[in-house]
Amino acid sequence: MHILGVYNIKGGVGKTATAVNLAYLAARQGYRTIVWDLDPQGAATYYFRIKAKVKGGGKALVKGKLDLDSLVKATDFENLDMLPADFSYRNMDLKLEDAKKPTKQLLRLLRPLSQAYDYVILDCPPSISLVSENIFRAADGLLLPLIPTTLSLRTYQQLLDFLEGHRISGLQLMPFFSMVDRRKRMHLDVMQSLPDTRKELLNVAIPYASDVEKMGIHRMPVGEFAPKGPAWQAYEALWREVQERLA
Amino acid sequence: MQAQVIQYLLPDDLDLPGLEAHLRERHRFLEDPPSRQEQRFLDSFDWRIWQAGGELMYEQRAQLGRLCWLPRKGDRLAECVELPEPPRNAEPLPAGELRERIAGALQMRVLLPLVVVRQQCRTLRLLNEDDKTVLRLLLQDNQFASPDGRRKGELEGRLELIPLKGYHKPLQQLRTELDRLGLKSVRESLFESALIGIGRHPMDYSSKLNYRLDPEARSDVTAKHILLSLLDTLEANVEGAKADLDSEFLHDLRVASRRSRSAMSQIKGVFDPRELEPFRKGFAWIGQITGPTRDMDVYLLKYPAYRDSLPQRLRSDLTPFHEFLHRQHQQAQQAMVRKLNSPHFRKLIKSWRQWLEEPVPKISFQPNALQPISRLADRRIHKIYKRVLKDGRLVKPDSPPERLHELRKDCKKLRYLMEFFQSLYPKPQIRELIKRLKALLDNLGDFQDFQVQATAIGHFGEQMLQEGASVATLIAMGALVGDLLKQQDKARQEFAELFAQFDSKQNRQAFEGLFGGS
Repeated sequence: MHILGVYNIKGGVGKTATAVNLAYLAARQGYRTIVWDLDPQGAATYYFRIKAKVKGGGKALVKGKLDLDSLVKATDFENLDMLPADFSYRNMDLKLEDAKKPTKQLLRLLRPLSQAYDYVILDCPPSISLVSENIFRAADGLLLPLIPTTLSLRTYQQLLDFLEGHRISGLQLMPFFSMVDRRKRMHLDVMQSLPDTRKELLNVAIPYASDVEKMGIHRMPVGEFAPKGPAWQAYEALWREVQERLA
Repeated sequence: MQAQVIQYLLPDDLDLPGLEAHLRERHRFLEDPPSRQEQRFLDSFDWRIWQAGGELMYEQRAQLGRLCWLPRKGDRLAECVELPEPPRNAEPLPAGELRERIAGALQMRVLLPLVVVRQQCRTLRLLNEDDKTVLRLLLQDNQFASPDGRRKGELEGRLELIPLKGYHKPLQQLRTELDRLGLKSVRESLFESALIGIGRHPMDYSSKLNYRLDPEARSDVTAKHILLSLLDTLEANVEGAKADLDSEFLHDLRVASRRSRSAMSQIKGVFDPRELEPFRKGFAWIGQITGPTRDMDVYLLKYPAYRDSLPQRLRSDLTPFHEFLHRQHQQAQQAMVRKLNSPHFRKLIKSWRQWLEEPVPKISFQPNALQPISRLADRRIHKIYKRVLKDGRLVKPDSPPERLHELRKDCKKLRYLMEFFQSLYPKPQIRELIKRLKALLDNLGDFQDFQVQATAIGHFGEQMLQEGASVATLIAMGALVGDLLKQQDKARQEFAELFAQFDSKQNRQAFEGLFGGS
């Protein structure tokens, strides 16, 4: 089982779109895949037309009273399931603090799923917190959508410092450029300057595209309604590159 | 991930279009593009996957091929792995629990295609108020075909409900509705239906002696019955042995042939010995022509254990020996196939069947022919049992190996007799006694096999030396011979203890109680 987190400290960088579209691509290849929507905003859950509600919420999960399997909802796509978001996740940090080994709770919860799924994709809340630390410790790979701006690069550096400070190793970092607007001078400059220093950067970049925004109208992955568009081609290429990295 | 599928067959007054029209009046559906796929069901010749509680299905869908283990009982889910083509054994599977389960079930056997199902499938997705899919309905038209394509036909239309995780209520509602329409949920899997289509059924082959004897039946009639069942087994394995699909075909063929010889000589006084004579010779000949190939099969099967018994440093030196065994096996196999294709073999089998299928004469002058089989069985088993005890007690620590070989032959006769007549005795008791006999027999078998192998490997070494084998290889083979002789010594030491158990008072009482009646 591969566990992939999709994460950025900043919100609005195309994180949920990445989680949803890549999970859909994995499932379409025949891999049993599950998306866990850990972001209380529940955008991924909304995209899959599932109602956001976890009985007992994050609290019961952390306390071990609920097992994840009972919360799983099937999506409309074969091989693709979801753990829907819950508004109560907003207090997850507090619950985690009360638990034993607070930084490894997520891994404990995920363990029983390892037989049932080939890929677990975590749509993470945008912040650095106990929840995100749990994610870093559970995941094999972390996908980091970056908007090519200097501010984005700063937040990326903050993450690297955090990982180093907390001795989190063995996590494959896969930053890539997201919401790229080729008409913007700054985007092009940042993209040109970065790759030399950051070997981990993926080659594929996701363009800024209205197809991605339309996911909210169609409530489905881009591949279902605009499979010929540049955004979808980019997601397909991104997934290929991610699989190569994980291999 | 899919949950356990619920399958329905349609009642006589409703076809798939009729059912669809009915459902569409009451629910909102979205239809997926129709799909066609081919499912290939696999198992070993002797149904090892089935016996392990599963069905193996290989399916090509879109560009992706996958192998699925479908559990036969309970509500466990199908487990699938991606594979580019149908596997012959567990080796191409990715490491994991499924691979081990399949490897454990199959052992040396290969997977064979048993039946193919061609499926045309329409998928209706039941929608809720958010246009979210909450249940999938598959309307299936299935055709079955035998792997060679000679037998094919249509299966009844099927409806499959594929529940989606987290959406239990819509499933329950639809099930109630289908019940009302008179649809029956079926337990028979698609695999079983397709097998019936091609005129087969699960477990339609077994090398075990699967029959129930009538204790009052004439002994000659019963003996023919047993021999016919053995002939069926022998014939069923000829093609697989010739094609060398796996080593068990030849093994089962040889066991059936050996049991036949044993039945001819041990079910005494039921047939005219002059009539039996040519067949007795014929079956001895079958033993001869198949022996060399079986020997090589055994060495090849044991090779991994041989290699692992050597110190790490010597293991790679043994590789030329493996290649030698392969070449020898090929030669032996070719020679055997020529013999199995010969008119002599065909005539032998044909005339044997003719003779067995001829009714027995109303009046027979053979001393035991007209006796009820239960009496003859008791007498024969009891007699050979006594002989085993007598011979076994004569074995002393310094007895020559021949003594043990003779004892082994008697034990084998006893085992075969007990197996032929198993159904005449209470099941738990006879099984237990066969098990105890087998423990002794295994020890005697080991003792002899280790010696035979050590001697044979010595001969192979000589032959390989002439063919220019390296010193390193011969040294490794020498180490192997030493190890085998050591194991033989061990078996010899264990014999006394095992025989004492077999000769224990409790065991003697059990044997006397079951077979000493007459």
